[in-house]
Amino acid sequence: MTAELPAWSEPFADEHRSALQRVVPFGSIDREWAIGGSDGSGALVAIIDSGVERDHPAVGGRLVRSVVVDLSGDEPSVQDDPDGSDVVGHGTACAGIIHGLAPAAELVSIRVLGPDNRGKGMAFATGLEWAIDQGASVVNLSLSSRSDALFGTFHELADAAYFANVLLVSAANNVPGPSYPSLFASVVSVAAHDVPDPLVWFYNPAPPVEFGGYGVDVDVAWKGGGRIVATGNSFAAPHLAAIATLIRSKHPGVTPFEVKAILAATGQGARVP
Amino acid sequence: MSDDPSRRLSSNALALLDEIAVRIEAGRRLELGSSEAVLRSIVDATVSLFQAEAASIALYDVTTDRLIFGVAAGEQGQGAIGLSVPPSEGLVGYVYTTGQAIALSDVANDSRFGRQYAEKTAYVPRSIVAVPLVDEHGTIGVLEVLDKRDSASFSLRDIELASIFARQAAVAISSSRVERDATSLLRAALRALIGDGGSPSHDESIDEIAGAATASLQGDDESGLWALVEQVARARRADPSSVGLVADLLAVLASHAEATGRTRGGAGRR
Repeated sequence: MTAELPAWSEPFADEHRSALQRVVPFGSIDREWAIGGSDGSGALVAIIDSGVERDHPAVGGRLVRSVVVDLSGDEPSVQDDPDGSDVVGHGTACAGIIHGLAPAAELVSIRVLGPDNRGKGMAFATGLEWAIDQGASVVNLSLSSRSDALFGTFHELADAAYFANVLLVSAANNVPGPSYPSLFASVVSVAAHDVPDPLVWFYNPAPPVEFGGYGVDVDVAWKGGGRIVATGNSFAAPHLAAIATLIRSKHPGVTPFEVKAILAATGQGARVP
Repeated sequence: MSDDPSRRLSSNALALLDEIAVRIEAGRRLELGSSEAVLRSIVDATVSLFQAEAASIALYDVTTDRLIFGVAAGEQGQGAIGLSVPPSEGLVGYVYTTGQAIALSDVANDSRFGRQYAEKTAYVPRSIVAVPLVDEHGTIGVLEVLDKRDSASFSLRDIELASIFARQAAVAISSSRVERDATSLLRAALRALIGDGGSPSHDESIDEIAGAATASLQGDDESGLWALVEQVARARRADPSSVGLVADLLAVLASHAEATGRTRGGAGRR
């Protein structure tokens, strides 16, 4: 029978089945198992945002690379941005949140907000594609695009990330109407809750927004070495990105949908058996 | 242009088209600038609902690639009017570019943020909420509210409320962008009626007919109609509550004009 199966069925054939054993013992996982003792080591987190201030104390020197998307040529390209600047402060805030929870994770900044704002959706897509190519463990996205023209592009990128074992974590958009890729099913979409604890997260079984993270009156790093108190979904997303980083650091074998399942099983709202 | 397009239409049809054109033009002139009045009433309502020091709306301007603050309300809001910000800078630029609603507080503690703000508006806020204005094509601007008097920061609920006001503003702007001139409306209507059989000469005749029908709109306003429409539009823009008063005054003046017209025994077409 084995010989007659199409190639797609091969992994499930008798002689290959032993390779299908997963590391996750579902049914017995808890927070201690999921993230206990994890510091994010071995994980690479990409932050697609306004840039990250390399020398900001909140980033702890863990920024290993900064790039910027350049739209000036015929094709959008990704250039090194050695100065590691942040044009707003928001990207540094995200980096500070992630570093605070996963201090050993390496951070890479992909700046998609720059002097030229035209074609912002295309800059965003180019940055996302680059992050996937780098094999980031987790990509934190505060942006989403409303461009119908880019629906297909973002759909392909979300799938490419999923199949390349890259977890996308995206801030949900408060405004009604489509926004990509935050509404795609493979993405961890996050809205803010107001429990003042970075390690409190919730799973919502009624999507599209599946997770709640700390995002109200959060003390965050800001541009110029400063700090500010901030509220919004875009401060909730990096909390979930950091927790996902802890999971992936401790359990390198888990895939994006397994990370989702672990996040759901260990969130505050989860029922204890 | 060789033959007169009006010859191809009966004089009756052309007169009807002319009348339609006049009504379109009157409607357009009455609505001009109305979105600004709506935006102003939205920022006014925002300030009173939030008990805020200021609220303002910045709209993206394609030609300058800047977000320009056109309307503001509140005691501390006026300094923002006319301010323009590149979409790549600051909180307003970030909210415009990402479409993410954001609230910040303890802003004054961040010296750089405060100083940048104060340099431009002569007012340093303690807290700020910025939400995107989104229509069906994307983000078109940002609504910003500064300093709730009874609270040190803006809550998630505040972000939601501000987003509702922002949606109203976006709707007002979208609908005003439909304002079109009489010639292009007539041209579109004629093209739709006749169908897309569309040879270039076909299109040319449609243009000529639309041009002939709207010819009376060009040139000097001898009838005084547009001067009158402009005054009515001004009254509508100024203050909705005084529209009734203006209408009453106009009624008195109109009766007087009618009486004068009868005694002189003449009346123009308009």
